[in-house]
Amino acid sequence: MTTMLSTQALGVERSGRQVLKDVSFETEQGEVHALLGGNGAGKSTTLLTFLGFLTPASGSAQVRGREVGKDVSAARQAIAYLPEAATLYGHLNAYENLLYFLTLAGTDTNRPALDAAMDQVALQAEARQARMQTYSKGMRQKVAIALAILREAPILLLDEPTSGLDPAAIDDFNRLVRDLAEGGRTILLVTHDVYGACHVADRIHLLQRGELVGAFDRPSGMDRIDTEAVHAAFATHAAT
Amino acid sequence: MMGQLLTIARAEWQLWLRSRLALCALLVFALLLAATSVATALRMSKEAHDRAHQQAAAEETFLSQPDRHPHRMVHYGHYVFRVPPPLSMIDPGVDSVTGQSMFLEGHKQNTAMFADARASAELGGFENLTSALAYQLFLPLLLIAIGHGLIIREREENTLAPLLAQGVTGMALHAAKWMALAGASLALLLPLAVLCAIAVGQGAAPLASLGIIGLHALHLLVWCSLILLVSSVARSRSLALGVLALCWLASALIVPRIAVESASSAIPVPGKIETDLNMQAELRAVGDGHNANAPAFRQLKANLLAQYDVTRVEDLPVNFRGVVAQSAEADLTQVMNKHAEERMALEAGQAKFAASFGWLSPAVAVSAGSRALAGTDLATHHRFLREAEAVRFDFVQGLNRVHAQQLAYSDDINRSSDMEAERRTRLSAENWQVLDRFDFQPAAANDRLARAGAPAAMLFAWLVMLTAIGAWAARRVQP
Repeated sequence: MTTMLSTQALGVERSGRQVLKDVSFETEQGEVHALLGGNGAGKSTTLLTFLGFLTPASGSAQVRGREVGKDVSAARQAIAYLPEAATLYGHLNAYENLLYFLTLAGTDTNRPALDAAMDQVALQAEARQARMQTYSKGMRQKVAIALAILREAPILLLDEPTSGLDPAAIDDFNRLVRDLAEGGRTILLVTHDVYGACHVADRIHLLQRGELVGAFDRPSGMDRIDTEAVHAAFATHAAT
Repeated sequence: MMGQLLTIARAEWQLWLRSRLALCALLVFALLLAATSVATALRMSKEAHDRAHQQAAAEETFLSQPDRHPHRMVHYGHYVFRVPPPLSMIDPGVDSVTGQSMFLEGHKQNTAMFADARASAELGGFENLTSALAYQLFLPLLLIAIGHGLIIREREENTLAPLLAQGVTGMALHAAKWMALAGASLALLLPLAVLCAIAVGQGAAPLASLGIIGLHALHLLVWCSLILLVSSVARSRSLALGVLALCWLASALIVPRIAVESASSAIPVPGKIETDLNMQAELRAVGDGHNANAPAFRQLKANLLAQYDVTRVEDLPVNFRGVVAQSAEADLTQVMNKHAEERMALEAGQAKFAASFGWLSPAVAVSAGSRALAGTDLATHHRFLREAEAVRFDFVQGLNRVHAQQLAYSDDINRSSDMEAERRTRLSAENWQVLDRFDFQPAAANDRLARAGAPAAMLFAWLVMLTAIGAWAARRVQP
């Protein structure tokens, strides 16, 4: 197995405040890991650190075994990032948006590939030519997910990817994430959704006030992590 | 890398072309530019035609005067007109505030005046809205309208993080956005290029025309860099717009006003009337050239008598009154020129002082450079005054020479009492050919480029400074 993402005693400060403390974990190729925690727990900060947008105050963050700060562009090349509430460009349609970002990333593509990705995220064909300013939040999220798929990057960082999606779309999305992982992609997603995380992740890291306070693995032979246990731990830590 | 830059720049253009705000702003500017360009071009073209016509008419009128006493021709006088150069259709410069014609006569240096009632009636009105002003003042506003969100919009709409996550560096993002805005600016210079081409067709120097385009391009690039920088460091689009609006206000209106007031305070220039009053005492010492017996000419008389070895002025081979007129005119002109040069030096000092505010305002720099290149600046007006004075002095002295050499002294002094003597003092109109043709042309293109050098250097310094700060900001771009 290849370690794709790892942190060692990672500490990050933002505006003079410590937002991550002594965080250590590793994600192997083909695994789906979820960072679960309340608001301000440091979940998105962890993703931004892997992207090189934030610099560790202590410890380190590595992408494919290389320190992020030493080669930010290599890290970003390996990662497809789906930010929270991705809006993309309202004046462009779905095709134009995808082409724009893929061109910037240096990823070759074509119309059938774009359609295939949008089929995967179940974006209606008739909506694809419309400008994204007319899209609902869920539709925009689907285009952003399609972009993450099309990037063909070995690592996907997804920040609240199911926010705004309807239950059916969430189920589709979870299946898609599993398919991608089985295809060899490494996925680290950030979520508030305990139920969704338990269904899609191989491992859940519970973050509270910047510290890892627990980890839950998918038991061998099971199709999901024990939701009750995670819920209980989440509720306990959220209450303290 | 270049592919990334072009992709981002193209997307920005796509945004503007699909944005109603940008298209409206573009349309308003296009209308403004078209209106000012056509109006200025027509006005200056008519001015050029009218003044050239008036110049020819004035010369014809002078030369067609009948036989008469040459000194009457000295006082009959002549008009000269400053025909606006072809590039004045872009930037009329000081044309409408300095006067464009002058009455030339003996013993006086008159003030330049307006060629016709229309020119003076236009002073202070909307006539001031020229294509140069549209480019120098209003085009930056358009750039602010479409460009204030260049970077901050990406941050506000959560597209900055995905952009950077595709491997686009902050520096590349800045460079691409700058290219997009600079590309739009340069495209908007196309009408200016067309105006310059028309001016070249009418005789403007191609080098000066290219200089005007280059200078305005430099000015717009300064604004592109400023807009990009503010958009990069501002925390919101509205803040960026507010800051840029303040920058425009300072550059286009406040600093130029302060520049003018400061120049007037730092280098006070006496008016023409005040100068004339100061000059009177010196002119009195020169003597009145109409009175050959004035004490001021005793030495001249003695020298002449000695030179020709005679005892009476009646015996001189030249007309003493004509010689006195020549001598007095030369001395008067020396005094008048000294004062005129002093005044022009002060005015030039004021202009230079005001232009130095280009270090604080790109608008001041570009307007000073544009006037110099168009040949419509104060230096050109001063050259007009000097050339007009040279024409005045030459024709007056030419007539005085005729007076001295072709007119008998005895006829001259008796012409009031002797009809026959008076008839003989009427010299042939052929003598009026002493008048040189006046054809005022702007300075050579190289001279104008040299005068525009300092303003261009100021704009270049602005560009370098803003680009350097922009590069610093680009390295710190974070979602």
